[in-house]
Amino acid sequence: MISNTVTPSRAKGGRGPLKSPSFAPGDSLAALGMTGPRRSVVENLNSKINMKNSLRSHVVGGIVDPGSRHQRCRLQLFAAALTLLPVIASAKINVVATLPDLGSLARDIGGDNVSVTVLAKPTEDPHFVDARPSFVVALRSADLLIDGGAELELGWLPPLLQNARNPKLDIGKPGRVQASRGVRLMNVLANVTRAAGDVHALGNPHFGVDPIIGKAIAQHIAQSFSAIDPGNAAAYEANYKKFEAAINAKLQQWGAALLPFKGQHIAAYHDSWPYFGHRFGLEIDIFLEPKPGIPPSPSHLAEVIAQMKAQKIKAIIVEPYHDRKIAERVASATGATVVDFAQSPGALPGTETYIKLIDALVSRLAAALK
Amino acid sequence: MTKFLFKTLIAMLVMIASHHALAQTAAPTASATASDVAALRQQVEALTGTVKELQQQVKDQQAALEKANIVQLPQGQGTSSAASAPLPTPLPGTSAQESFPTTDSSVVSNAPTAPGTPAVNANGTATGQFPTTDESVVATPAGAISSATSAPPTETSTGSLTQPITIAGGGKNYMNISFDGMFALAGSSARDLSHIEVGDHDPQQRGFNARNIELALDGAVDPYFEGFANIVFKLDNDNATEVEVEEAFMQTTNLPFGLQLKGGQFFAAFGRLNPMHPHVWDFADDALVHGRLLGPDGLRGVGAQISWTLPTPWYSQLILAAQNGRGSTGFSFRNPGDNGIFFGRETTDREVRGLQDFVWIPRWENSVDLSPTQVVLAGVSGAFGSNETGANARTQIYGADVFYKWKSSHAEGGFPFVKWQSEVMYRRFEAGRGVDETFPVAETFHDWGLYSQVLWGFRKGWVAGLRGDYLHMQNSRFTDDADRQSRSRISANLSWYPTEFSKLRLQYNHDFLESNFFLADREVDSVFLQFEFILGAHGAHKF
Repeated sequence: MISNTVTPSRAKGGRGPLKSPSFAPGDSLAALGMTGPRRSVVENLNSKINMKNSLRSHVVGGIVDPGSRHQRCRLQLFAAALTLLPVIASAKINVVATLPDLGSLARDIGGDNVSVTVLAKPTEDPHFVDARPSFVVALRSADLLIDGGAELELGWLPPLLQNARNPKLDIGKPGRVQASRGVRLMNVLANVTRAAGDVHALGNPHFGVDPIIGKAIAQHIAQSFSAIDPGNAAAYEANYKKFEAAINAKLQQWGAALLPFKGQHIAAYHDSWPYFGHRFGLEIDIFLEPKPGIPPSPSHLAEVIAQMKAQKIKAIIVEPYHDRKIAERVASATGATVVDFAQSPGALPGTETYIKLIDALVSRLAAALK
Repeated sequence: MTKFLFKTLIAMLVMIASHHALAQTAAPTASATASDVAALRQQVEALTGTVKELQQQVKDQQAALEKANIVQLPQGQGTSSAASAPLPTPLPGTSAQESFPTTDSSVVSNAPTAPGTPAVNANGTATGQFPTTDESVVATPAGAISSATSAPPTETSTGSLTQPITIAGGGKNYMNISFDGMFALAGSSARDLSHIEVGDHDPQQRGFNARNIELALDGAVDPYFEGFANIVFKLDNDNATEVEVEEAFMQTTNLPFGLQLKGGQFFAAFGRLNPMHPHVWDFADDALVHGRLLGPDGLRGVGAQISWTLPTPWYSQLILAAQNGRGSTGFSFRNPGDNGIFFGRETTDREVRGLQDFVWIPRWENSVDLSPTQVVLAGVSGAFGSNETGANARTQIYGADVFYKWKSSHAEGGFPFVKWQSEVMYRRFEAGRGVDETFPVAETFHDWGLYSQVLWGFRKGWVAGLRGDYLHMQNSRFTDDADRQSRSRISANLSWYPTEFSKLRLQYNHDFLESNFFLADREVDSVFLQFEFILGAHGAHKF
């Protein structure tokens, strides 16, 4: 995890104002009055202290890289002293992902060359994450930010970026990966009104659960990693090919597992599964919420129950942050099964990675529909 | 349309096939003349041309459909494999023999496009292009990225909305516009509610109040600045409209080393309550200590601010602002008071003499995560400047604040949560003898106060709150100002947010006002029913 070597390419393409693509090399050092000889001293020093990445991951509140927590207090002071140096190189690309699925893809592609910090917890509603100050710290020193885009994190990412003041993460820079780029969003509305509940003007942003889209995001990530860290481009490419092959192989399994239920209607608490349904030929089109984001009302639930009985619906999809009791009530009234689903790896037991998550979704749903 | 074309195409193909068959069977027979063969050949050629033309038409149609962003759901059934035009991916698992499709151009646009010509779908979303071939990843990653960069962003980089809807549709306008209307129905045992409620946006009379109707605008000015404006309209107790330029400022987006500059009219970053707009307050009225020490409108003014996020592993920020501090929004500073009287003194109302006449407002705030679900934010603030009660009268205000929040790791819509917020402030106010030294004495007031509040979001949309206030105003036998009354208050409320754009709040206050040399003690009970709506794209709020 900790490397003691700093290759020239990394020293240039790593973290800190020195390496920002918007600066001419040496600009910020000159501004600091640090020229030639001192610069090399700084770099040498940095090569000794590039444990900073792992330190930072401890103080960020979201899901962090696995690592030891017990050293945190002792090392914080030490790290504080070290980080007062504005120019510190690090061996790994410092990646921040807003959501756990994006973080999983980043780890798959980046391997040991990146250090990934995920902001949102896998079990919480991704639209309503608190813009907590520790996220500012993570973003301030990030080399690359992966966000969902399509206004998914609109309620919390903009103030964080405003406060992080990290030009590397501006939209349009290589340090910014918006997963929604290149994705054709579903349910794009011609006219938006909040009378329809929490609607998304740009289309449904919960696209990550379509494995084919997952591949595209992974490829986008691989390209961006390569742009920032050309020295390891081959590794990123190889990792992507591996990921692509794994998804392609898995798709055969997943497709076969859900094939018997093609065209079946399924209920869900919230309308966040159109992409998954589309991929596997399922109609996930009955919702416990009367309108997106509006809590289920008794009268609406009565209608849902009647509809589910009439259509013999077998499964109700709920996510970790939904009120499972409501789904259970509907299930007991209709004979359907409540299926625990999640958009984020780590939200369900045994789903630490993206592929394991889709594995779990497919097998859970197939079991419920049998 | 497409289906019709397919049918035509198939019909043509059948015709071609039969002609081919005819030609093949006809050629060997001796009875066929050379001219017959030539004629047939011509016919075949003509038909081939027609087929090619039709194929092109089908292709064009599909391209047009894709451009129009009509998501072509896979429809494998019933399409003939004879057609060579590219078809949408067959439905997953159409037949068990076929392999499950591993690409889908209907959801991911992977058609290689020339770099620099980003594809944009009909709704303005960048479709981008990620070449799926290895070469693009290895050889021209920079090209791939730069082609994506010229695409319009799917989210404005500096705009901030609580919700994904802007007035003209996602990300398609240059600024976010929102309108917020906040009203209150008030009942109170006091006939002079305007003396009981300390904030200018609090209910000021029994009955209905419209004290905070605001128009908020924000957006990226250019690649270097972002701008924000908050214009407040309010109705006074005689229903006359008043307008306040509450905030209007620009700030930098691109300074290095974690620095940010801000300039314009803005709320001072003093404590927690002061920089927040009243509609995000957790109670229907202002905390006593804030309203009395920093002023009914809070401490805000025209000025400039620099802030620096320290490169520490925890969140730490230093802020320093200088503001004119003149008028009622610089309440404890260069405030001439009502009719030229403040704390009983006839005030001097003067221009800035030097740097000492600005209000200097430093703040240092720090935050750590106690656990993945718990955050603490704490800060200390100060405000230093001159006041108008004497030639060299000075004011110093010090504050400390702490904010704690727990939010469930399974939060839906941000609920459930518990948050606790407390602030303490101390003011040293040198009250001079007024202009021309007409007031009998010069005094120094040591005033202080605090509040502490707990909010519990117990289920989605529902929040219960409890707040305690205390305010100590130094007793004076010379200054009979009605605002200089020590008091304490307990408040409880229940808020219901049907969505994050509307709010209903019921609040009960019980006030104890202490006696002083001029005022008798009294107790006041008040009930407020606050209601609020938000239209448009409103800026996301900081933590």
